[in-house]
Parts: sequence; C-alpha cells; structure tokens
Amino acid sequence: MLRRAEFWGGLFWLALGAFVTWQGWLLELGTLNEPGSGFVFFWLGLFMSALALSITVAGARGDGPLLADLWRGARWRNVVMVIAALIAFGALFQQLGFVICSLALLLFLMTFVDPVSPKLSIPISLVASVGVWYVLEKVLLVQLPKGSWLEDVPYLSWLAG
Amino acid sequence: MDVLSGLAQGFAVALDPINLLYCFIGVFIGTLVGVLPGIGPISAMSLLLPVTLSGSPESGIIMMAGIYYGSMYGGSTTAVLVNIPGEAASVVTCLDGHEMAKRGRAGPALGIAALGSFVAGTFAIVALMLVAPMLAKVAVAFGPPEYFSLMVLGLTILSFLTQGSMAKALLMAAVGVVIGLIGLDQINAMPRLTFDRLELVDGIGLVPVVMGLFGVAEILANIEQQIRRDIVQSRIGSLLPSREDLKASAGPVGRGTLLGFLLGVLPGGGAVIASFASYAIEKKLSRTPERFGKGAIEGVAGPEAANNAAAGGAFIPLMTLGIPPNVIMALLLGAFVIHGLQPGPLMMSQNPKVFWGIVASMYVGNVMLLVLNMPLIGMWVQVLKAPYKILFPLILMFCIVGVFASGNAVFDVFVMIGTGLLGYLMRKFGYEAAPLVLAFVLGPMLENNLRKSLILSQGSFDIFVMRPISVACLALAALLLIAPLLPALRKKREKVALDVTE
Repeated sequence: MLRRAEFWGGLFWLALGAFVTWQGWLLELGTLNEPGSGFVFFWLGLFMSALALSITVAGARGDGPLLADLWRGARWRNVVMVIAALIAFGALFQQLGFVICSLALLLFLMTFVDPVSPKLSIPISLVASVGVWYVLEKVLLVQLPKGSWLEDVPYLSWLAG
Repeated sequence: MDVLSGLAQGFAVALDPINLLYCFIGVFIGTLVGVLPGIGPISAMSLLLPVTLSGSPESGIIMMAGIYYGSMYGGSTTAVLVNIPGEAASVVTCLDGHEMAKRGRAGPALGIAALGSFVAGTFAIVALMLVAPMLAKVAVAFGPPEYFSLMVLGLTILSFLTQGSMAKALLMAAVGVVIGLIGLDQINAMPRLTFDRLELVDGIGLVPVVMGLFGVAEILANIEQQIRRDIVQSRIGSLLPSREDLKASAGPVGRGTLLGFLLGVLPGGGAVIASFASYAIEKKLSRTPERFGKGAIEGVAGPEAANNAAAGGAFIPLMTLGIPPNVIMALLLGAFVIHGLQPGPLMMSQNPKVFWGIVASMYVGNVMLLVLNMPLIGMWVQVLKAPYKILFPLILMFCIVGVFASGNAVFDVFVMIGTGLLGYLMRKFGYEAAPLVLAFVLGPMLENNLRKSLILSQGSFDIFVMRPISVACLALAALLLIAPLLPALRKKREKVALDVTE
C-alpha cells in the first residue's frame, strides 16, 4: 500500500482538501441567505476531500503503478537541476539583474543539464540574453531588474542603468 | 447593426496596416509554436500577453487570436514530418499523416491539412459571424443562476472528456477554483488564503499559473526523456493533392468542420476532442477502415478540419457569454480584461470595432496562413531540425521573461516555478492540468454567481431549478457525473480515453 503512487497522490490532495475546509470554516460560512467568505471554500474543501479519499482508498487497495515506477528509466537529475537553477534565478534576479542571471541560466542548462558544445552554448547564451534584454528594455520599454549588486561594479554598471 | 455593416466595419479595422502587421505576427508566431514540439499556443499566448499592452485592444487581441489558429495550422507540419504533434490537437494527424510522409506523400498530406484547415477555419468564422449576434441576444436574459449552471456544465464536460479518471479531473477542477479564489473576496473584500502576503491580496496571476503548468511542466517532462526526432528525409514534393485525394477528402473535411465547430462551441470541448472524434467517425464511416493508421488521407483531412473549426467555434461562448470554453480562450479573456474590455452579450453593441475587427481579422489571418505557409514548408522543416537541448533553455528563459513582464514581480516567477513543479508531478501521477486552469479562471465568476443567486433567492436553491436554461445545464452536468457509474457508459468513456492514449 505504501509503495503505491495513487495512495500518496490521493493523500496529498486529501490533506489539501482538509486544509481548504478548515480555512473555509475560519473565514466564516455565513448563512444561505448571505453566504460568507468561507462558504465556497468550505464546501469545495469537503468535495476535494471526498474525491481525494476515494483516490486514496483505490490506491491503498492496490490500483495503479508503484511510486518507483514513475521515475524508472527517467533522467530525474535533469529535473532537479532545472528546478534548482530556476530557484537560484528567482533568488538572484533582483540582485544580479536580467542579463547576468539569464546568461548564467542558459550556460548552466546547456552545460550541465543537456550538454551542448561550448562553441554553440556560449554565443547562443550571449546573443539570447543580451538580445532579449535589448528588445524588452529598449524596444518594448518593459522594465527588467537591473541588478542592485552591479551598480558600483566597473564595466558592468551600464547594466544597472 | 446588421451583420454586413458590422463586417464592413470589421474589415476597416482588420485591414489597417498596423492590425495587418499584428495579425501577421500572430499567425507567424502561431505557426512557429505549432511547428515546435514542446511549446504550444498556451505558452506562446501567455508569453505575449504583456506585449499586447503596447498596442490598441483590437491589435493585441487580433495577434493573440492569430497565434491560436496559426498554431492549429503549424501543428500538422510537425505531426506529418516528425511524427510528434506540434500541439495537442495534432496528435491524431500523426497516425496517418506521418505514414503518408514515410510513403513519399508528405506533400499531399501537408497540402490537404492546409486546405482542410482553411475550409474549416473559414466556415467557423462565417458561423461565428452569424451565430454570435443571435446568441448574444439570448444571453442578455442570462442571470447569475444561468451563468453559474453553465460554468458548472463546462467544468463537468471538460472533466468528463478528460483522459483517465473522472474523479481526478473533478478534483483538479476543485483545486483550480480554490486557487482562483485566493485574494480579496469580491463581495466583502475579506482577504482569503493570503497568509499575510501582500503579493497574494490581488490573487494569483493567470500567466504564471499557465506558464508553470503548461510551459515549465512540459519542459521538465521532456528533459527527463531522450527526445529523438525522426524527420522525414525524402523530398516533400508537390503540396497540391491529386484529384482522387481531393475527392476522398471532401466528405471528411465537411463532416470534420461541422463536428469541430459544434464541439468548439461547447464549454469544455475544444480542438483536441474534435480531432479525435472526427478521426473515429471517419474510420467508422470508411468502407476500408483497415487503411487508417497506414496513410489514409481521410485520417488527415477530417481531424485537421475539425481542430480548426473548433478553434473558430470556441470564440462564440467567449464573445457572447463572456465564458471561456477552454484554457486558450481563458487567456484571450485575460487579454480582453487587461485592455479594460469585458466580453459578453453587450460586447457587440458596446465595442463593435473590437468584435467585428477580430472576426474580420480571422478571415485575413486564414488567407495569410494559406498563402504564407504552403511556400514556407521548407523553412518550417529547418526550424524542426533545431535540437531540443538548445530550444528548451531558450523557452525557459522566455517563460521567465513573460511571467516577469506580466506583473513586474519576482514573486510571479516563483509562482511559475511552483506550478511548474506541481504540473510535472501531476503528469507523473496522472492528473490533468486543463480542468485546473479552466476552473482557476472560472472560479471567481462561479463563486460570485453562486452567492448572488443565493442572495437573490433568499437562500433557496430552487432558483437553479426553476429557470429552464439553468436546470437544463445542471441536468446535463448531473447526467455526465453519474455516467461513469453506469457500466455501458463507463465502457464507452474508457474506450474514448483509450483511443486518445493510442
């Protein structure tokens, strides 16, 4: 039972359903004449819980694939690396600005996730990050983070405006 | 305003040079994302949603609409030449289209796909032009109960037609409504599920959710597999189908057009379902069903016509009722709202320039697609040769840029990463994202109309069953909900899901 993917999937949604129901209760249900802010949350939470419970029970009875089967033969390290790179991008976006962050992201993905020859990855990353920055900032006038850490760095301060 | 004078006004808008340019950019990008596997119209439209802000409302929406129907054209190219659907509605085109290509008939396969798409697209626009004004008149009589019931029906149909477990699809719809309701309560301005985060007070944006669930999740799913593309190397040859091909395709195109249009109008329906249904019908009607899957031109003509007609039909519920029948129309609704427009029964009278401008631009866009794409097939083949290991980092960067530009907030980038991971895990565990996104968009409207109905009826649920349109929608939804419990219907539904998988 504990190795079944359906069981764990159902359990996750069951917990979420219970949480939504509880939040709905806290937000106040109101009356049928005048439903409160939590009315829809409460009933939706119960609905979610009921559906999730049926999925959990079916999973516990042995329906569906095993948890390990879902990643058998998959290059799951690529997924982890991409997620980590995106989180790092989000965390440093304001500090390093768009150009440095996107350049680093592209180089990382083309070097470590699905490797491409440096002869290709370096020019593509440079052209893409500077090109997109130019089009957005100068042509479409979309403001991108300029990089608060770059303001005093020689040769790079132009990026910070 | 009658249809002809409306259309004349529409052509004046659509043929304005700046709108022609936007239309061209839309259909070009649409074809490009349709051709490229791994990025579909949903991602492209989310990316370009912020860009539409720089132009007039009609220009922006003309471009977004162009991406949608352009992608339906482009998807068939990848399906025929690489045996990978460029976008979901072209899955079925792979079956016979690629077989035709392997037998040296890639040209006629691509040609009939383009011609069928053109015929169906044109029919859908004419029908949209004629049906929309009539439906808008009826829709004026819609009150909160009718809107609520219609949205319930839409979500139920989508859950019913979703591949696999209906319980999972309904669960996803419920999750979508919950996420859609995060933020201030529309009626009494109470913050809900905001966890004291200022960024959540206005709710979660559509663009980061869609980009995460479709764009990032798709990339994560792709990079864990080795993608191998087997592009047809032989010469494509003449794109013009022979007289026999045209004769064999006429019926499938006609039936596919009609079926696709009807399924497109239906809330919860859409291009993917239309193409599968058309294929199933053509196979059933054929005297030689054994040819299907081995290069039958009818298997390309019918589904391609159906998915393009559905793309046109889907505009009707959005333009006349203000209800998006699928995720792509939900994005288009987002574009309308960004420009301060509210699609619905009053749109034609209050914003005739926008409504008729979009209708007319679809005629222009369809002609552009036919004229441009047939000679450009060679270029699309070159695009297809770009390796995924170079494409996916660029797509990811565009996702981030699009999400950031839509709200100018790094928080949205994290929402995209979170929903991307969620979408990836949902794929792994067999949960579909489409009901979640549609419910996310409809959630606030659904709640608003439910609460308004209850206030109007002083707490009585009779209001939903005393009105004919409302009760009809709810009865149909109830029928669909209990259908999986009936053995005969369950078998039928499972068979449809199995056909889709195959």
